[in-house]
Amino acid sequence: MKDFEPRIIAFLCNWCSYAGADLAGVSRFQYPPNIRVIRVMCSGSVSPHHVLHAFQRGADGVLVAGCHIGDCHYLKGNYMTVKRVKFLEGLLQFAGYDSARLRLEWISAAEGIKFAEVVRDFTEKIKQLGPAPSFEAVPERALGA
Amino acid sequence: MNIKIKQLLEDGRVDGFWAYKTTHGFPFPWLFTRENLDELEPWQCTKARYPILKLLLAEARNHPDKTYGVLLRGCEERGLHELFKWNQLQPEKVVVLGQACSQGLAIECECSKPFPEEIHYGTPVDPVVESRKVKELESMEPEARQQWWLSHFNRCIRCHGCRDICPVCFCTECSLEHNALIPGEKLPPDTSFHLVRAIHMGGRCIDCGLCEEVCPAGIPLRSLYKEVNLLVEDIFGYKPGAADGKSPFSFLGEEMLLPSGPR
Repeated sequence: MKDFEPRIIAFLCNWCSYAGADLAGVSRFQYPPNIRVIRVMCSGSVSPHHVLHAFQRGADGVLVAGCHIGDCHYLKGNYMTVKRVKFLEGLLQFAGYDSARLRLEWISAAEGIKFAEVVRDFTEKIKQLGPAPSFEAVPERALGA
Repeated sequence: MNIKIKQLLEDGRVDGFWAYKTTHGFPFPWLFTRENLDELEPWQCTKARYPILKLLLAEARNHPDKTYGVLLRGCEERGLHELFKWNQLQPEKVVVLGQACSQGLAIECECSKPFPEEIHYGTPVDPVVESRKVKELESMEPEARQQWWLSHFNRCIRCHGCRDICPVCFCTECSLEHNALIPGEKLPPDTSFHLVRAIHMGGRCIDCGLCEEVCPAGIPLRSLYKEVNLLVEDIFGYKPGAADGKSPFSFLGEEMLLPSGPR
């Protein structure tokens, strides 16, 4: 599994985490190029549906990052994020998937270093876990592919 | 039943009453009004289960000013409580008569409370406490469990039956029909079809088991929804179906009460 380059979808909130990623960029902090960033207005607007859709389309990991509790631009948007992610982790586990592939982090606009570290650490973990198991109910071999 | 329902209708307490009428030898849900009072039949203990809340909800949406009565089992009453909590029906517009289920039905349904709060017909029987299937699944290895679920999900023919019969699926727009997120032309549908539905059932499913009964592919949906409810109970201490309390996904809440996670 040496050549495995994971694909990681990152949902970053517009006000904190996206700015944190920006800071990591302008500060020239190095981090692996495995993440694909999707900017959202609030981490609380990331529906479990989007996370599952990412896995269904072959993402190896999903990172949801938002403002620290208490710092949310919309006051309590990230409360919903914690609840959802916690619940989703349990559901993924029950469906037989490794909940370590879903990660929630609070990254403020000033934490460029933390952003780089989180991405590095998460990419490393996903590399160890290997490619994500398929979400497809019909295996490719059954389709004669 | 004849007398109690007749009384409610004649007194003008309710404008219509959802109960059952024998049609072709089977009890069938029927809306009784002051016009068809003479069709009322005496109550009998049956095994017939219908999504009577769906009928009530549709009727109440069409006539928001009217008050309806309804004959409910234990599971249906739990569903009614959820509909109140999610602001789909108004408590003052619904009058409930409760019927207890037979022991046979309670065992078949694996029901945790086979009788409503207030029982007008029948006698309460013993509940069934735990689900063997969920225990069995929890003890499986993750990989085996994943294969087990996929082997069931791949029989899905996307009939939407589970959603259409569900008494607590009240949305007028459904994310399962969102073409960009769940491609409509694909069969069997994406696994996320079932997982998204499971997410929506968290803190809402009242464990009536109609979804599993109606599923033409025999997918063990109930075990999935039972598990999501156990999760919600573990994490948030909330159990759907009670008259009080609110689903953790229906409000933002206090910082103190959030589950543990990064801060």
